[in-house]
Amino acid sequence: MDPEVHSLTGAYVCHALEPAELEAFERHLARCPTCVQEVAELQETAALLASAAAQTPPPRLKAAVDARIAVTRQIPPVVSHEPARQADRRPRRRWFTALGWGLAAGLAAVVAVLGVRLNDQQNQIDQARQRSTAISTLLAAPDVHAESVNVSTGGNGRVLVSRSRDEAAITVSGLSRLAPGKVYQLWMMGPSGARSGGVVPVTAEAFDSVLAHGLGDARTIGLTVEPAGGSAQPTTEPVMLLPMPA
Amino acid sequence: MLGRAGSRTASEEQATLEAQLHRVALGDRDAFDAVYEQLAGPVLGVARRVLRDPAQAEEVAQEVLVEIWRTASRFDAHRGSARAWALTMAHARAVDRVRSADASARREARAAELMVVPPFDEVVEAVEARLDRERVRRCLEGLTELQRESVTLAYYGGYTYSQVAHLLSSPLGTVKTRLRDGLARLRDCLGVG
Repeated sequence: MDPEVHSLTGAYVCHALEPAELEAFERHLARCPTCVQEVAELQETAALLASAAAQTPPPRLKAAVDARIAVTRQIPPVVSHEPARQADRRPRRRWFTALGWGLAAGLAAVVAVLGVRLNDQQNQIDQARQRSTAISTLLAAPDVHAESVNVSTGGNGRVLVSRSRDEAAITVSGLSRLAPGKVYQLWMMGPSGARSGGVVPVTAEAFDSVLAHGLGDARTIGLTVEPAGGSAQPTTEPVMLLPMPA
Repeated sequence: MLGRAGSRTASEEQATLEAQLHRVALGDRDAFDAVYEQLAGPVLGVARRVLRDPAQAEEVAQEVLVEIWRTASRFDAHRGSARAWALTMAHARAVDRVRSADASARREARAAELMVVPPFDEVVEAVEARLDRERVRRCLEGLTELQRESVTLAYYGGYTYSQVAHLLSSPLGTVKTRLRDGLARLRDCLGVG
């Protein structure tokens, strides 16, 4: 390890390196676990320097931020293609009974978890629990609206929407299996275009629901067939268009 | 992560911030409001410290807070606290802005101004009443003069370390080292890690 490069951790954390040095330091960082650790600690320290300079933000800042995030698409999280079968089974049953949708076992179904990382089991359990709570809350909303349509290639989709909660629960079942390398992808479609609602892996038995927050101007939930990994924008005609009330 | 110097409340707040950020990644607007509540002040404050210009600082703060919403799913708790993630972003943005061409004129004016105004006094004067303020001030006071000046000029001033060396008429290598050992001493004093 080059001690000269290593000693740049402080300047790096202060964003005080010239571009050429920055590049050299980041190359070094990639193979220096000690530096990574030191940088992390010094970044925590720098965060306290920032906190010490805190100022009361004017209300117009919140208004401006709120206006912007209403039209800002969030970067979708890394969505695992492994459905959380065991973790999800129990809560799933509970809320589907409550919904009374009574879908027959053995239907080909989808598991998609919008905005959720399925990295570890505890996460999965927490998420399943959160989802089940979220859906009962959604059902209790005064303006809850249900809609269902057929998927043109087989199966059907349902949605529960509450504009007051700005949430929708989307369930798609009986989907046809796709050729390898193809996936189903959900879209939130509105006047300002289509936003990805995540890729939905189709499995033989799993059945789950997608919970979407921040509907924004979306008026329709679409489903398309996309290349594996999903697309930034729909590239094929939707096989399902679920209307949502304004 | 605040360790021995952190109060229970502060570390609880921090754990909550991580959980809230996770919910923000799910598009939860209430969670975002809570994150905003905790981070808008420091985000704006650090942008203001670096940029000086209130209007530009507000623009940067707005960009950063929207970026927190947009990229919440990319926050990785294994790599540090949510607070450090957000404030590192805020500081980087403010520094980028100060180094951009349109800010160079103001920068020249500031450089001249900083030659005569000790930056540390200014920092102390500008900070708002917050739990962290006193601790940070005390810990900054515990540094050697060159450590303190290097850290405050680089972090709060947004200068590169070679500019800091120039401003302080000190050798480049010395400033580089003072930045590192100054921050390390602050880390120990503040009980980080």
